[in-house]
Amino acid sequence: MKIIKVLLIILTIPLSIQNVVADYNAGQEKSQVCAGCHGADGNSQITMYPRLAGQHRDYLVYALEGYRSGDRKNAIMSGFAKGLSDQDIRDLSEYYSMQKGLKTLPKK
Amino acid sequence: MILFASAGMADTPLPGKDKAETCLGCHAIEGYNNVYPTYKVPKVAGQNADYIISALKSYRNKDRVHETMHANASALTDQDIIDIAKYFESLK
Repeated sequence: MKIIKVLLIILTIPLSIQNVVADYNAGQEKSQVCAGCHGADGNSQITMYPRLAGQHRDYLVYALEGYRSGDRKNAIMSGFAKGLSDQDIRDLSEYYSMQKGLKTLPKK
Repeated sequence: MILFASAGMADTPLPGKDKAETCLGCHAIEGYNNVYPTYKVPKVAGQNADYIISALKSYRNKDRVHETMHANASALTDQDIIDIAKYFESLK
């Protein structure tokens, strides 16, 4: 019984994972468009634009999906996000989340 | 008094540090999750101040939708927002 259970779990894993697998190198390539405002590694030197370096991957995905759908409003970002596929969003988020930059706030 | 104040300047915490205390409940916990939808609460230490200012103002006036952030940002004055943003930016 135990073996059957384990097998069932293993077999259903691919179904529970989203079809899109993030590709770091593709993300780096695609990030060239973003670099003008956000910096090559996501550490934007233009302070009106957020740093993306080191930000949580799933938050970046959420933000880009929000810009794409129009839930999150920004004239510049909605223009760029509209052209992104799910794969693009995951690749970019993977790339920026792996850069050194932002941190969690220190506790008191 | 003036001498004393200037001598202590380097160690004087930014006013935003105290004002940001409420933020710590979510933003100071490594890997803490937002729910519905689920994603990790964004990192804000080292974030650019001008961006934080625009984000907090957007939450305050509901241009940017997030219940908890709207509630928290509603309690902030423009000066509070500037102070908090400068504190976050100082944490590079």
